[in-house]
Amino acid sequence: MGNINSKGIEENTYDAIVIGSGISGGWAAKELCEHGLKTLVLERGRDVKHLVDYPTMAKDPWDFPHRNDLTLKEKEDNPVVSKCYAFKEDAKHFFVKDNEHPYIQEKPFDWIRGYQVGGKSLTWGRCTQRWSNFEFTGPQRFGFGWDWPIRYEDVAPWYSHVEKFIGICGSKDGLEAMPDGEFLPPFELNRVEQHLKESILKNYGNRYLVHARWAHLTKPNQIHLDQGRGQCQARNLCQRGCPFGGYFSSNSSTLPWAAKTGNLTIRPFSVVHSIIYDEQKQKATGVRVIDTNTKQATEFFAKVIFVNGSALNSNLILLNSTSNRFPNGLGNDSGMLGKYICHHNYRGWLGGEIDGFADTYYYGHNPTDAIIANYRNLHKIDTDFIGGYTTYTGARRDRNNGETFPQQMGAEYKESMTEPGPWTVYSYVQGETIPKEKNHVRLSTDKKDEWGIPQLITSVEYDDNDDKLLNDYFVQTEEMFAKAGVKNIHHSDSKQAPGLDIHEMGGCRMGTDPKTSMLDKWNALHHCKNVFVTDGACMASTGNQSPSILYMTLTARACNYVVDEMKKGNI
Amino acid sequence: MAIIIPASIVSTELIFSSCKSEVKEGFFTDENIKLLDEIGETIIPATATSPGAKAARIGEFMKVYVTDCYTLEEQNTFWYGINKIKEISRGKYKNQFPKLTLLQKTEILQKFEKDAQEYSENKKKMTGANGDAVQTGKGNQEAMNEYGGHFYPMIKELTVFGFFTSQPGATKALRYIQTPGSYKGDVPYKKGDKAWAT
Repeated sequence: MGNINSKGIEENTYDAIVIGSGISGGWAAKELCEHGLKTLVLERGRDVKHLVDYPTMAKDPWDFPHRNDLTLKEKEDNPVVSKCYAFKEDAKHFFVKDNEHPYIQEKPFDWIRGYQVGGKSLTWGRCTQRWSNFEFTGPQRFGFGWDWPIRYEDVAPWYSHVEKFIGICGSKDGLEAMPDGEFLPPFELNRVEQHLKESILKNYGNRYLVHARWAHLTKPNQIHLDQGRGQCQARNLCQRGCPFGGYFSSNSSTLPWAAKTGNLTIRPFSVVHSIIYDEQKQKATGVRVIDTNTKQATEFFAKVIFVNGSALNSNLILLNSTSNRFPNGLGNDSGMLGKYICHHNYRGWLGGEIDGFADTYYYGHNPTDAIIANYRNLHKIDTDFIGGYTTYTGARRDRNNGETFPQQMGAEYKESMTEPGPWTVYSYVQGETIPKEKNHVRLSTDKKDEWGIPQLITSVEYDDNDDKLLNDYFVQTEEMFAKAGVKNIHHSDSKQAPGLDIHEMGGCRMGTDPKTSMLDKWNALHHCKNVFVTDGACMASTGNQSPSILYMTLTARACNYVVDEMKKGNI
Repeated sequence: MAIIIPASIVSTELIFSSCKSEVKEGFFTDENIKLLDEIGETIIPATATSPGAKAARIGEFMKVYVTDCYTLEEQNTFWYGINKIKEISRGKYKNQFPKLTLLQKTEILQKFEKDAQEYSENKKKMTGANGDAVQTGKGNQEAMNEYGGHFYPMIKELTVFGFFTSQPGATKALRYIQTPGSYKGDVPYKKGDKAWAT
């Protein structure tokens, strides 16, 4: 701590420090501040204030010079992030450009990042189904990993806690594979989606197409209005930031809520170099921060530290937090830190056309997709692969493309394109991947970033299981669609690198045994009990459901544990 | 035995070999923008119900899009095509394209529409099942070269994309509501109702 005087220490001391202001960091801030803890949130990027810093939120398509496409230079300068579906003219300012923070791809890995207050919660996919016990027990039942130290029953009340506050639309479907939650009304299925649902149920009996469960305020409750948020207006322009606060983000919800308590301090432009470990006290005492503009280092201190820097950056911070006690990274006696990185398999797309339904259309822009709940490997392994998958699906009726119109120019050609064409049905897959030791991240021993922090090396790849799962999705979905009358079915494997799913997980996983895991059942480091990791890094397996709401849930649960332990004098 | 080479290399070579012109500053002169407006208006004309590509300032849109989003090769192909349209206007119809009758303009563009289809079919013939181009002999390459490859689909796509994302295109030819207020999954549709722009 060298040259920092005691007054400095006092000024820089909080009850809690939260590293990161994204979807889980925002929740840590909210819970801790609400319980009266003076909380410092450190964000490496710039500030983004709700409404104020959404420059494109009210723009129309013609307001964008390139009509929402990227320029050639933007693509050439950003070979990685330009692959991301949301990195377009309207939202590119919410993504890290390739040259802004280099990393080393030992194997191809598209690391998509959002360095700003709110992080990727501004641009996230917003899909929020609950994990079931099938996911929590899968690794143990089928022997593809270490057991989770928690079960669905441990998190169910915290799911409810989060759902009520952020607002989740959906319908109660009574599915064991996708437990019900606290739902606002769902987005309606359109007539073709309703037909698909009925056809699939009739033909299979145990496969369920259900309404999306998505973080949208279809009918806000008082708690949402109290946040200053309003009803989702069905714009489907969420990635720009919502002028109505219709979808959940840290910026629109948890951070301003935390600020209202008077206990929150947010410090943008503050990249965390490492966590400070005190060998005498045998706990962490604070963090070293580098101001990204001035490059000046400062230390901040707190009784408890939450690591929510996004999965891989949380790994990076812990790996870089070395001391005599922990030469290989904070809490890393097991040598597990950085290992078992996993992600979701998002490579598959399948769709086709369906005749009829010419007398129906829709009004507004549905910002959600329907879901076919996982039906694979639930009670037993009934396929040639391990794990399950969520199938997202929907039907739409786009403008007629005029391709088949004989005269490819002129008045009639134009008129033909002003009407809706046939209905098309689409789907895409979110598949579980199996955590493996060799899929890892580690620190470069020679390359550093401009703040003197070692660069991260990513070494993550697919395996045969991923190919088999993908193939099963193609075969099964084609069959379900064909039975429903979908024709001209085609599918594609994007073969995209891991990472582009933006569901990277693991590296600091939860577990019962400190020899094989990093975190205990409360997300505390086994060997440094006042440091909690509650973002994607904590994941012991990927499941097939969307992970973000689980991070929020685990965060809220851990925060309340911290508050209880503080009351008991244990932290 | 056929020599298999990646399709991207073939098409790049063909484009280069077919392009006499090089992209220079100032190609998007007022005169050329007016020409692009006229080409666009021929493809998507004003009709009784809505304005056309000219009202959507399609030439100005192409200027921004082609300059910022096209590769140098694509820009060369684009200008090669524009020059071809100018040549045929002057050569066969003895006037500048904007001054031709609608029938003459349509004739020219339909010729290129047809050429582009033939080009695309030839390209398919020369492409193996795995998506790689198969070089089968000199004859096919020459056939593909005749009109400089695929410039016409570029112009057509720019027109259609630019028009339907423009204010007149989205709000007059289609229906556009930025903030619908809510979503309804099943509303009656009758023939003639416009499609949603977004």
